[in-house]
Formats: sequence, C-alpha cells, structure tokens
Amino acid sequence: MTDITKQPENSTKKQGYWAGVARDGKKMGFWFILPTFLLLLFIVIFPLFMQLYLSVTWWTPLEGIPWYRAWEVFSWGDNYVFQFTDERVWGALWRTIIIMVIAVPAQFFLGMSLAYLFMDNFPGRKIFYSLMLTPMMIVPAVVGLMFYLLFQGTGPVNAHLGLPVTFSWLTDVNRAMISVIIADVWQWTPLMFLILLAGMLGVPSDQLMAAKLLGGSNWQNFLKIILPRMKAVIAIALVLRAVECFKIFDLVYIMTKGGPGVQTETISVFLYKMTFGEFEWSYVAALGLTILFVLSIIAAKGLAYIAKKDG
Amino acid sequence: MKVSPSAMALKYFFVLFASAIVLYPLVWMITMSFKPYPEWTTVAGLTWLPKNPTLQNFEFIFFGEAKGLVVSLDRTIAGPFIASLVTSVCGTLLAVVAGTLSSYACVRFGLAKTLPLSVLQLRLFPPLAVMIPVMVMWAFLGAVDTWWGLSLIYGIVTLPFAFWLMKTFFDEVPIEIEDAARVAGCSYWRVFYRITLPIVKPGLATCALFVFILNWSDYLLALLLTQKDWVTLPVYMATLTSAMGGQMYGMKAALGVIAAIPPVVFGLMIQKHLVRGLTFGALKQ
Repeated sequence: MTDITKQPENSTKKQGYWAGVARDGKKMGFWFILPTFLLLLFIVIFPLFMQLYLSVTWWTPLEGIPWYRAWEVFSWGDNYVFQFTDERVWGALWRTIIIMVIAVPAQFFLGMSLAYLFMDNFPGRKIFYSLMLTPMMIVPAVVGLMFYLLFQGTGPVNAHLGLPVTFSWLTDVNRAMISVIIADVWQWTPLMFLILLAGMLGVPSDQLMAAKLLGGSNWQNFLKIILPRMKAVIAIALVLRAVECFKIFDLVYIMTKGGPGVQTETISVFLYKMTFGEFEWSYVAALGLTILFVLSIIAAKGLAYIAKKDG
Repeated sequence: MKVSPSAMALKYFFVLFASAIVLYPLVWMITMSFKPYPEWTTVAGLTWLPKNPTLQNFEFIFFGEAKGLVVSLDRTIAGPFIASLVTSVCGTLLAVVAGTLSSYACVRFGLAKTLPLSVLQLRLFPPLAVMIPVMVMWAFLGAVDTWWGLSLIYGIVTLPFAFWLMKTFFDEVPIEIEDAARVAGCSYWRVFYRITLPIVKPGLATCALFVFILNWSDYLLALLLTQKDWVTLPVYMATLTSAMGGQMYGMKAALGVIAAIPPVVFGLMIQKHLVRGLTFGALKQ
C-alpha cells in the first residue's frame, strides 16, 4: 500500500511540509487534534492554576490591584475553611439537591409514562411526538419567562385555580421552590421522554410479541421484558438530567432571582450572586474548586462502578 | 395489532392531556405577545385569545416606541438579535471545525485516547464554578463584551457536543471505503476531504444545527461576559423591565417568541438525531 502511494502521479502538485502531512496519517492527525487541544489547554490548564492561585488570596476585582499581584493580599486557606462553615453554601447545596431529588424522578416517571404511550403507532403520533419534544428546544431563559408570567398573582394559574390575585407563587417562601420545580419538569420531561422512548423502541419486538402471546399482561411485560432491557438507557437519562439539574441557573434566576430571600438560591445562583452582587471572586474561586473536586471524585467513582459492572 | 377502542380512547385522553400541559405556558406567552396592556393580567378577566389583537409589542421592541405608548426604549431588538446571531454562528463554526477535525483524528488514527473523556468532563461542572479565571482572562485580553470573546467561549463549551456527535458519524463510515481510496493513491487529506467529509455531510449539518441551538439558548455566559454592546437576546429579554421600570409582559413575551423560534424550528428539523446529540452518541435512534 505504501508503495503505491509513493508513486509520483499520486502526489499532489503541492510540495513541502503540508504535502508531507497530507500523506502521513500520524502527522495529519496531530494537526487535526491541535485546535481542540489548544482550546482545552486555554480553557482548562491555565485557568485552573489561576483559580488555585486566586483562591488562596483575598483578591477581588475591586481590590485595585491586577490579579497577578493578588499575592499581596494572601489569605492562606481561609476561603477554604470559611466555605465549610458558610450557611449560605450549605443552604444552596441543600436546595439544589431538593430540586434534583424531586424534579429528576418526576421527569423520569412522566417521561417513562409518555414514552410508553408512544411505543406503538397511532394516528397523529408524529405530530404529538413533535409537540411533546418542543419544551426542551425552547431557550431556558424563555421558559423562565413563560413560567414567570404564568405564576404572577394576576396570571392565568391563579385565575384557573380560582385563587385570589394576592395568592403569590414566586414570592412565597414555599411555593417559589414548587414553581421552579414545575418549570424544570415542564421543560425537561421531554428529554427523558425522548431518551427513554429511544431505549424502549430498542427492545426487540419479537421478545415483546412472544411475551404477549404467552399471556403476560401489559404491566408484567413492562416490568419483566421492557424495563430490564432499558437499564443502560435509564442510567444515561438519569445521569444526564442529574448533572444538568445540579447546574440549574437560567430558570431560577429569571423566575425568582433566588428569592424570596434565599428560598430558591441554588448553587449556581449563589455563585452568581457572590460573583456579581458581592464581588467575592477569590471566595467563589475556592468554592468552585471544591465543587470541581467533589464532582470529579463522584464522576470517577461512577465511571469505576460502570467499568466494574461491564467487566 | 388490534387495540380495543376503550384502550385507544384512554391513550388519546392521556396524550391530549399531556399536549394541553405542554401548550398551556406556550399559548399564554404567544397570545400575550399580541395583547395590549389591559389584557396582560387577569385583573379584567382571563382571556386566552387577545380581545383586541395588536402588534404594538413587536412594534415597540423593533422601533423602540409604539403608537399609544408613552414610554420608549433606548435600545431596540436589533443589537441583541445581531449579537445572538453572530456569536452563535461563530461559536458554532469554531466548535464544529475543531470537533470534526479532532474526532476524525481520534476515530481514524487512534490518537489522543483520553481526549473523548476529557472533553466530556467539560460538561460536568457548573459553569459558574470555573468562570472566575475565565472572566479575569477575558478582561485581560480585552474580550469582555466583544463578539469574538463570546464566540470563543461558546465554541469551547459546545465543543464536547460537536466532538461526540461527529465521532458517532465518523464511526459509521466504513473504513473499507477509505482504504479503497488510499489504495487508489489518495493522500490522507484527500481521503478525508473528498471521501469521508461528503459521506458525513448530513451529519455535519445536524451537528452544526444542534450546536447552534445550544449556543443560541445560552443565557449565563452572555450574562457574565457581555455588558452592553454584545448583549444577546435572552439577556436583553431578562433585563427589559429593569431598564424601564414597570411591567412589560407583552414586550417580554414578544421577545420570548422571537428568541424561541429558531431553536424550535432547527430542533424539529434534526429531530431524528436529537437523541444521539443529547446523549453524546451513547444512544442512537
């Protein structure tokens, strides 16, 4: 093979370095990877060190000194010590987890039920399918706006439920959280539906047919045939949603700005407020690194678990 | 398979119920954008369809003022719309080009075995946890509130999606085709450019649309890295009240409708590949 390629009629007119690259797989691969590699280097390696550096100082952009002179306000590990006793951090973490453990299972059950409805064909299935997918394609900020409008005291939700205009959702201590969760479920159930349906349709139909002929009820078939064959898909869907849910920001920030008080302040909203409201950049850097560290450990453990199960 | 009429009726009941829930907020926002001020709230009674349909809201955001409105707007939708478009397109180009090239190198030449997982990791963390150094860097480079600064970050954060999506498309190209071309004397570059790329062209288009939707949908990054000149549509929409004081539901709804249209249209266009894109190629439909 290499002999043929070396024949002169096959070489392009271009000579020099690039012609050589085009004929050398490894070399070309190197140039192909270079942009991605540089981008990663640019966004991961350098910022990571900068974050580590800033996190052990008191530096803020209001300090009046450039970031590289942040050592002048060195703080040792105070930011790291402080974050563990900061009630706002724990509160934000707690609320984020609450949203996760309510919204993600809700999305899962609703998505699964919907997917089951869409398993076999029925007239109009295509249109309804597209309609079901629409919420997740809408810009999250716009979804935030939609539910902001719905949950106004003078909005349609109160009118439909027969509640007075003084009945507030977004400014109420308990109901603000419920509103946010409803909005998140509305937007992301379609994602669950989409993924779970793909998994469901991947179940071999002859197995299902056989089970049906043997007289299994629909519920039995679902539990014994469909569900066990969807394990991987379910895992993917849950992990995807859990990861995204942990980052939740747009919806919350547009609907409630984390309020009333700190009632809907999630990790991301808290970090945002610390970044722009209070300009505690070195503290955010420390907290961010801690989050990075913890999430990496969880991810590594998860991957190891999956690898063990597969192997 | 025969389904009993009652089962069918039940199915339609549930499907229609779900559709109603999906449509409820959507319809409220869309009709809101055509409603004049008195109908924005339910104080004067709940109306789904505007009683006095008007284009006032759209007029207002496009021209900064509208007939019958005393308030005016210091900036219209034009700037944010162009900002959204330019940064999304440039970010998409960057992500798709870098992602396509590197995933091809990973698939065909077996280079950089750890790259797939390391780009995936980029998606794991809340962006806000890692944005401090990025903001410092952007300020240092003079990239804050510029089109290229925002495009650059868009390209980087959507790179994992582009990489994994293109990887699945390249995985599907039979290596025999490429080998045949190699035997016929094509250089690696020619094989890639003349053979493989045309084969994955539909995949490339899907990937570009998918990444464009992600970039267009961003709110947080634009909030952090723009101030005035390159504020994007979602940020502009969210700040519309605070700039003016008072409630501007109708105008916000009009903005929301405009911002929502492109991703929905593109999303429905690439419906078939959504599963693949959203699960980083772990699942195909």
